[in-house]
Amino acid sequence: MTGTRPSTPRPTPSPSRRALTAAAALSPLLSLPVARAQGQGTIRFGAPLPVTGALAPEAVKQQQGYDLWAETVNKTGGISVGGRKMKVEIVYADYQSNTPRAVQATERLITQDKVDFMFAPFGSGAAKAASTVSERYQVPTIAATASSAQVYDQGYKYLFGTFTPNETLTEPLSDIVRAKAPGVQRVAILARNDLFPLAIAQEMEKSAKARGLNVVFFEKYAINTMDHSAALAQMKAVSPHWIFATGYINDLVLIKKQMADQKIEAPVVTMVAGPAYKEFVDAAGKGAENISSASWWHPAARYKGTDLFGTTENYVKLFRERFKEDPDYGHASASVSGALFQMAIEKAGTLDKQKVRDTLAAMNVQTFWGPVKFGPTGQISSLEPPVFQIQGGKTVVVHPASIKQGEFKLGVK
Amino acid sequence: MFALQILTNGLVLGCLYACIAAGFSLVWGVLNVINLMHGTFIVLGSYLAWAAYNGLGLAPWVALLVAAPLFFGFGWLLQRGVLNRVIAAPVLVTLTLTFGLDLMLNNAMLLAFKADYRKLILEPPLGTLELGPVLVPIDRVLAMVLALALTGALWLILRRSRVGRAIVAVRLDRDAATLMGVDVKSIYASAFAFGAAMAGCAGVLLAMIFPISPLASGAYLGKAFVVCVLGGLGSVPGAVLGGLVLGIVESFGAMAFGPEHAVTLSFGLLILFLVFRPQGLIGRRGFE
Repeated sequence: MTGTRPSTPRPTPSPSRRALTAAAALSPLLSLPVARAQGQGTIRFGAPLPVTGALAPEAVKQQQGYDLWAETVNKTGGISVGGRKMKVEIVYADYQSNTPRAVQATERLITQDKVDFMFAPFGSGAAKAASTVSERYQVPTIAATASSAQVYDQGYKYLFGTFTPNETLTEPLSDIVRAKAPGVQRVAILARNDLFPLAIAQEMEKSAKARGLNVVFFEKYAINTMDHSAALAQMKAVSPHWIFATGYINDLVLIKKQMADQKIEAPVVTMVAGPAYKEFVDAAGKGAENISSASWWHPAARYKGTDLFGTTENYVKLFRERFKEDPDYGHASASVSGALFQMAIEKAGTLDKQKVRDTLAAMNVQTFWGPVKFGPTGQISSLEPPVFQIQGGKTVVVHPASIKQGEFKLGVK
Repeated sequence: MFALQILTNGLVLGCLYACIAAGFSLVWGVLNVINLMHGTFIVLGSYLAWAAYNGLGLAPWVALLVAAPLFFGFGWLLQRGVLNRVIAAPVLVTLTLTFGLDLMLNNAMLLAFKADYRKLILEPPLGTLELGPVLVPIDRVLAMVLALALTGALWLILRRSRVGRAIVAVRLDRDAATLMGVDVKSIYASAFAFGAAMAGCAGVLLAMIFPISPLASGAYLGKAFVVCVLGGLGSVPGAVLGGLVLGIVESFGAMAFGPEHAVTLSFGLLILFLVFRPQGLIGRRGFE
């Protein structure tokens, strides 16, 4: 057989165009609601969580927090409802980090799984969207991770939240910096263009301006940014005294690394919300020294509560025993949300949704999370979030005075 | 002066992008397989570097010697055992297959390493090179030099070695290559294996720079796509050029329009190229 060489190569489909069309046609659809056990005498709580997708790490934290609470309650026999002990069951639903699905999951949990009470989905955006559904069905809902005031200003009666508004983080920070470092004048803000990171950056800008500080740089970076060198070079050119960067652990680790690469130093460097997590401190290494931050809770806090966990120390101990790591505010907020439902149900002595809702609204208790009292909108109004700093590789609380462990230090290299 | 710093940042970043994309471009160009596992291979390489450094004290540049054969073998087996079965099917089939395999690999990583971020912290740190007013982080320069060396080695293999010429021959005309006695299946496996080795090595190098997490794979894949379309498919110099263009455009773009538009800009560029120059900057229908 004699082979003749074709004069032109065989036509092949243009791979790039086809690929893009095909990639768009595919979307990961992996939803599996957690199977539930039916049983008499159980109280069912619905928890839509972003178990898969970009927010998966957050879902794990919340799930651990809810599970620890449920396991701890069930070990004591359950929640006491009018003298009868009832076990707790949490019905999880994965909404794939996709807010519209969080709304659907909430509706399904309420109408099909017939849960008694709800935990809101993760973050301010999804919690706000889903609260419309739980309000319609009049199911008391606690949001464990929604801080923006816009979530609570809809006039809803069944929604409660354990995070204070964002400015309660930036205000005490600004006061401390003002007091400890009067020379700090120029503030540079670099924010992840995402709901919470941007909102807190904007609050920081307000807090700084209210104290006469000069915000000389305010830039946003996109989600999935892999390089901050251009933004940092611009920031360096205005030689800021206070660098305030927002984002999640990976963003902030990268930003800190690139700051060191470009030899950017400042008296004060604040990052939200990385330093609250142990992973950040590990991943940033020595570069984390003296970075300050604020969050709604910290395991170093020393609160004495009347909830089932009792003290902060005891909560941290139980958490360590169960999950072999330290809890952060994400875990603790989920656990306290359960504990608050428990306290409200036990006080009301019934599962009646209206009565439990009223008890929550009138609540004024001490917990391992701190004092809990909900304001007129349902958002917690009693908590004073701690300000802390990484010192010697450890987290040290520098504010408020009641749980302070050390002094605020200046100088970040 | 300031522009010089931005240019330097862009160039260094561009070399990293080239390193991310070289293997992806080879596999896409030669096999016409869009390997959606590419980002995951990179992340796996990063984990390897992290484990080698923290467990055995092996520096990333040493870990490269382990990663290259390991990923080559892994890629070869994967192509020979799985992908070759559907290689003649339309591009959508292999795309779906690699998509599914990627989901499995990625979730296996989530199980094995959790979604926590890790970071390879060199002790002592390599520091920063000061060239007058311009600062260049040494780890990036090192990653850049090694990445260029690797990419150069790949180019040499394709041009000089027997297997490399065979890969190019198959790319040019599969039927003719078969008639000339080239074992196409084995060549496909080799090409895929080279791609996997490049991805693994890129991951090892990038571990010095970026935080490591299974969730990072999507971002790497996205960059690889853009670089390939900019540079031209299947061409090693194209990947380098595409990477450099992307790095510089993103750096100056971030300065001109603000950093929040850097990603928009790179995907905007992708669309422009797809519409007006689908073959890329120096891509040709033939290969080399």
